[in-house]
Amino acid sequence: MGCASSKQFKRAPRHGDAALLAKETTFSLDEVKALYELFEKISYSIFKDGLIHKEEFQLALFRNSNRKNLFADRIFDLFDMKRNGVIEFDEFVRSLQFFHPDTPMADKIAFAFRLYDLRGTGSIEREELKEMVLAILNESDLLLSDDAVEQMVDQTFKEADLNGDGRIDPDEWKAFTSMNPALLKYMTLPYLK
Amino acid sequence: MGDRPKLPARYEQVKLLGEGNFAKVYLARHMDTKEEVAIKVMDKEKLIKLGAVQQIKREIAVMRRLRHPNIVQLHKVMACKSRIFVVMEYVRGGPLYRHIPANSGLKEDETRRIFQQLVSALTFCHAQGVYHRDIKPDNLLVDEHGNLKVFARRGYDGAKADAWSCGIVLFVLAAGRKPFRDDDFITLYRTICRGDYRCPRTFSPELVRIVRRLLQPNPAHRITLLQIKETDWFKKGFKEVSFYIDNKDCLRSLDGSEEPDLCDSDSEDETAMSSSSSGSSSPVAHGDGGGMHTSVSAPSLVNLEKMHIAAARAPEPRIRRIKSMNAFDIIASSPSFDLSGLFEERGEQLRFVSSAPVNTIISKLEEIAGQVSFTARTKDCQVSFEATRNGHKGALAISTKIFQLTPELVMVQVCKKAGDTAEYRQFCGSELKPGLRGIVDGLPEDGLPPTLNVA
Repeated sequence: MGCASSKQFKRAPRHGDAALLAKETTFSLDEVKALYELFEKISYSIFKDGLIHKEEFQLALFRNSNRKNLFADRIFDLFDMKRNGVIEFDEFVRSLQFFHPDTPMADKIAFAFRLYDLRGTGSIEREELKEMVLAILNESDLLLSDDAVEQMVDQTFKEADLNGDGRIDPDEWKAFTSMNPALLKYMTLPYLK
Repeated sequence: MGDRPKLPARYEQVKLLGEGNFAKVYLARHMDTKEEVAIKVMDKEKLIKLGAVQQIKREIAVMRRLRHPNIVQLHKVMACKSRIFVVMEYVRGGPLYRHIPANSGLKEDETRRIFQQLVSALTFCHAQGVYHRDIKPDNLLVDEHGNLKVFARRGYDGAKADAWSCGIVLFVLAAGRKPFRDDDFITLYRTICRGDYRCPRTFSPELVRIVRRLLQPNPAHRITLLQIKETDWFKKGFKEVSFYIDNKDCLRSLDGSEEPDLCDSDSEDETAMSSSSSGSSSPVAHGDGGGMHTSVSAPSLVNLEKMHIAAARAPEPRIRRIKSMNAFDIIASSPSFDLSGLFEERGEQLRFVSSAPVNTIISKLEEIAGQVSFTARTKDCQVSFEATRNGHKGALAISTKIFQLTPELVMVQVCKKAGDTAEYRQFCGSELKPGLRGIVDGLPEDGLPPTLNVA
């Protein structure tokens, strides 16, 4: 819960807002209220303004606000639907619903696609995949030769890029994830239930 | 329901074990691993009609996190359009009551051993906020080693109710009969309220005292299971078992909205980890189709340990199934995507790459476990370590998995599953990493783990 000193800024969700969010998302009214507590905790952790800033998001995820991380950035950007640099409560709820156990798989597949489509071109390019692999290897301090990385990316494209045009489009992504359901495991958070 | 495809793919039915209102329980065998399991098959339509869907979902969600040697282990849950399959450990010995000589009961030492296992399982559940509320001799099973197995089941706050039921079980164990006359419900109710029962002369005075304190009709005055654990009678020969809760399990596609997920998909492997298919103690669930039961088996830890180590050391000619990781797998398994950090302290993960043969890595991991007297279970390309002592946050449990990256390279992923973080780091720094040096590429020379996603 937020600190006592921040009470003056506190804007609990008006009942109407919460009800509307419950109506429009997978969450029940009680769950929306529970999410508000979480939101409050995160959004008052550094800037205390009831909005989640990137540093606060990283702090909540990694217990460290300085860790630069491509994927935390990506997730933050997707959560920040209005693209104003902060996550507001309704964005928080609407985004987290993709991670709800009851959310249809198709929605989760689409969310993950947007996550990987780094440049927002509507398809996942080979370069994007390689960039992500390198970022992950780097963050885990894994040393892999460029050849090995190329080999993996090639192999993955061979399996996923069915029409061989060098891009994974949404339909190919859908087919690929249904063959590899483990890929979407992180898209379901049992805590949300 | 059309009785065509009764069980999930790759399981063959051995026989029907039991049947209840909305569930049937089959003994089944996995076609590849030959592992015998009990599969509870529930009809979704019936569950919906009975309004039991939410309850079952919650029950499963809770149950699959509980892991205790005396609780029937839930291996995995699968679903198709019309059915839900709960794959559980098969408890071979059958119901407990069959093992109790009628009217004479078990010897007091044997009674105590079973009772200790029961209390150990229940206090473990209670600590997780799970109450059974339906403990009775018919609901308890015994495995092939004579150890108790309880079906975990979820009731409301029922610590006191569970304590009372333990009193009944204790009485039945030692006496070979029930304490109260149950000719009809009214008589039963009256005798219970009056505490109207008599212990056989064979009961020791301490046993009589414990039974009396458990069967105390007023819950406010009834002894708690934790207090029971402090009595001298209970403590005799009792060793607390180590256990942990798998905190990564998630419930998948239980609602009918998704396509059937009948194959043993990768996403199930967290669960597969907790399934002890190491060949040591693999009990079987004799379901009655009722609640989800728990098995009570408490092999002495020493034996358990020995068995695991023996199993791990035995030369295994069998083929390991290694999972390969594609580029997206590497990305998806990165802790960066794990939003669970928002909700709780997350498990720490450590990954490294190796060009050594998988078998070499696995033997090395098992060897390291042996050196620090951890229990190691190996299943395919996964070695799970479990400390045999409880730290202050419970026993340390670590999972290591090996994946194929390219034809020449594998990735080893180490993940803390439970226990104290400092203890885990210590283990990684001073045991695991030095032990793996020479096998693993690019381990830094200092004793520090290269990456710890500091929780």
